[in-house]
Amino acid sequence: MAKIKNGNVTRRTLLKAGTIMTAVPLLGIAAPSVLAQAPTKSPTKILDFMTNADVAKAEQEGQLVFYCHENEAGTAGIMEGFRKDFPKISTSYVRAQTGALYNKILSERSAGRFDVDVIQLSDLAPAFDFQKKGGYEHYVSPESSAYKMDHLSAPSGYFFWTGVDPAGIAYNSEKVAAGDAPKGWKDILNPRWKGKISCKISASGLQFVQWYTLRKIYGDGFWKEFAKLQPHAFDSRVQLFDRLSKGDDMITAIGEYPAYILFKSKGAKVEFVAPPDGLVATPLVVGAVNKAPHPEAAKLFVDWAMSKRGQAWYQTNPNLYYGSVRTDAPPMPTGVKLSDFKLLYPNDWDEYASQSATFLKEWNGMLGL
Amino acid sequence: MTGPVVESTGSWFSVQKVAGYGVAAIAAVFVLYPVYFLLEAAFDVGDPQIRPPTAYGVDNFSGLLHYPQIMLNTLTVSVAATVMALVFGFVMAWILTRTNVPGRRLCEQLMVVPYYLTPLLGALAWSMLGQPESGFINGIWRALGGQGHLIDINTAYGIAWVMALFEGSVAFVMIAALMKSMDPSLEEASQVIGASRFRTIMRITLPLVAPGVLGAAIFVFAEMLGSFAVALVLGLPSRYYVITTAIYQMIQQYPPKIQVAAAMGVSLFAVMFVMLYVYRRVVMSGSYVTITGKAFRPRVIDVGVLRYVLLGICLVYLFAAVVLPLVTLLYASLQKIAVIFPATENFTLDNFRMAMSMNAVRSALSNSLLLAFGTATIGVVLMGLLAWLIYRSRLPGSGLIEYIVMFPQAVPRLVFAFGLMWAWVIFPIPIYGTLWLLLIAYLTVFLPLGVRTIAGVMLQIDKSLEECAQMCGASWAFRVRTVTIPLLRPGLVAAWLLLFIASVRELGASILLMGPHSKVITPSIVESWFGTSSELTATLALIQTLVVAAAIAVLVAVTRRVSAHPID
Repeated sequence: MAKIKNGNVTRRTLLKAGTIMTAVPLLGIAAPSVLAQAPTKSPTKILDFMTNADVAKAEQEGQLVFYCHENEAGTAGIMEGFRKDFPKISTSYVRAQTGALYNKILSERSAGRFDVDVIQLSDLAPAFDFQKKGGYEHYVSPESSAYKMDHLSAPSGYFFWTGVDPAGIAYNSEKVAAGDAPKGWKDILNPRWKGKISCKISASGLQFVQWYTLRKIYGDGFWKEFAKLQPHAFDSRVQLFDRLSKGDDMITAIGEYPAYILFKSKGAKVEFVAPPDGLVATPLVVGAVNKAPHPEAAKLFVDWAMSKRGQAWYQTNPNLYYGSVRTDAPPMPTGVKLSDFKLLYPNDWDEYASQSATFLKEWNGMLGL
Repeated sequence: MTGPVVESTGSWFSVQKVAGYGVAAIAAVFVLYPVYFLLEAAFDVGDPQIRPPTAYGVDNFSGLLHYPQIMLNTLTVSVAATVMALVFGFVMAWILTRTNVPGRRLCEQLMVVPYYLTPLLGALAWSMLGQPESGFINGIWRALGGQGHLIDINTAYGIAWVMALFEGSVAFVMIAALMKSMDPSLEEASQVIGASRFRTIMRITLPLVAPGVLGAAIFVFAEMLGSFAVALVLGLPSRYYVITTAIYQMIQQYPPKIQVAAAMGVSLFAVMFVMLYVYRRVVMSGSYVTITGKAFRPRVIDVGVLRYVLLGICLVYLFAAVVLPLVTLLYASLQKIAVIFPATENFTLDNFRMAMSMNAVRSALSNSLLLAFGTATIGVVLMGLLAWLIYRSRLPGSGLIEYIVMFPQAVPRLVFAFGLMWAWVIFPIPIYGTLWLLLIAYLTVFLPLGVRTIAGVMLQIDKSLEECAQMCGASWAFRVRTVTIPLLRPGLVAAWLLLFIASVRELGASILLMGPHSKVITPSIVESWFGTSSELTATLALIQTLVVAAAIAVLVAVTRRVSAHPID
């Protein structure tokens, strides 16, 4: 059984960086020539964070184009936070699920269109791929120092973890007594949940992480048993909790903490269980895009998003509620910090990425696709 | 005025030929250009993330054999929904256009409401009503002492029911346009010689509208094959997947299976071509002309006291398709978490406050209205000319144009959108990511809708009327303006409204083609359903419905003013 680290990710070696550097750039994108570039000037302080961007130039550019996996309200929320701090920079965005979004940006770039400044993805696998393809602009933010190396790209400067989406088990407290509620991950396999349990579809990066990590801990049989429960699968955490709060499902096997906070605040009769083995968690990664039409605005956004200020916004916006991995992150709206949770990540992201096809086949097969 | 000799189709140059082939060329470019990329993707067996493809083969098609259950589900739902939609459409069209049922004008206007209410919202409303556990109807049932659930909307027939109500209302519009253009003297003659009303319907009315109904059937069936939102909302909870929801999963996941999705979409071409072939055979084998040089005055049949029974049928239909969904959405929009028996503290106006504060939604709504107006106006001209070209012009190659025009209907828009994206992203004129791209996309994907609607009426017009004008020396343009267009007016108005509404509610193509500055409303509402709450989504849907209703009311009023001053 492979070891799952609690909240820590094994660092990929620097050799990986060398591999990336030597990889032949695809899509006609030049290898990032700025990798060795040091900032030409000292970082400056803007509001309460540091940036290497030329703020005046960014404001002169006047725009930021953001591609994001997050739902409409969440994406609009991110842009609203940035625009409030930099009202001279108008923002626009395109949002889609990570798979479709990533395909869209690759198609655009292969056609020589470079309309995007910053991209946020919900899965590390396409982020690695985009880095290999030379899609990210290399930009080392002065705010990087507040992050562990595990939460930055390797080498740093391509993307960073703008937040973490942790998930445990959630149940409807009117349908399930507290004593009968699952306590750990294996309890979701109880046959009493048959036809009354939900999960996410294979497009979900978090669902992929859950499949990967729990398979590592409990073996291949875990998900085979789960399949016998005939779970209902949905796109988003909101859909899962919507059904849960109305009693259409009794429990959800992938109860995301941000959605729990949101629905609890609306008075929904839902409860959250943090299994002793840990919460499965996936990073949401942000990076500036190579050949961006508004490069200074892109850098400024990355710095803002990495800053304590930006992270507080990500962490407290009701449509986001991302847990921050900044070393000095404030608590989440519930008063707990992300670091208070035991988190389950894949301990080898490369191996995790290589399992993508197996996951898709098994998960889609389980759902009758 | 150009003489008939110059205009003969045999001559090398004529206005008629230039217009005909010009419009055919535009349609061909709109359709075939993205279809090329779609075919390329369907046969692409190389790395899905590299374009252009690195290897070609047929593996994507052989892979389709792995999805027999999905194919069966799709057929079951599509056939059931088409049958329901045609029965509803025919019965309602006959009642509201051919009988003296009271309040028929109002009922007729209400009949199009389900169409612009959008299938997503219909599905959302009926999901709130018919979920086995939380559905309002089942909640009332249990409160009255019932056990379990009364209805389950998450079944194949539940899905078909909602699709028929909200996707199939186009059948009513198409059939009603036909019936309005039909000479009632034929039915009256039938009754004068002793036929019953039922026999008259079966032997006179039905055969006369047969080509239009068949056209509507093909169109509605194709709509059902490509239906996405209803199957997504109602099918997923019961793990009931159809082609579109399967495709959706394939293109959302990472890495996306776009090639298999494209193959799935392209394989639907075959189904559509067979249906189109059957349609052409039926149309070509008989005469369905009901508008001739002989004058007729449209009259309705006096059905006596039966009219109150027929009114009851109309009201039941409108209650299920309009009143109940709208009331349900309103009820849900006023709650934090929508339940049938809410506590007092569950009521809120926050959903309306939030909806009104969403800038993105406001701009998306105005973009949608602008696009809908542009699509409908340009579309009626383009598609009217295409319908004339296909069914009237006798120009060589007109049959081929019909097949080309039907292409977009054969492929779910979710998939066709990829072809459009690949086609227009490399186009040298920078329209990608703008409203212009969406306009082109809408004109492309709605070609079958517009052409089919106008053609249904055009087939009923006797060619001798145009030929008579031609013999009198009228030029082609003069004939079209003074004979064809006035006779086609009901069909053109119906097509304009259908295109307007279809554009506002378009989802599949818009999701992928929207740029950062070209958002439209329906995908925004879908996003809301995915990402915020069903209550806020219900609120947005209500706002969209009200705004679109207001726009349509204004447009209909303008249309009536124009109709009141017909072309001399």
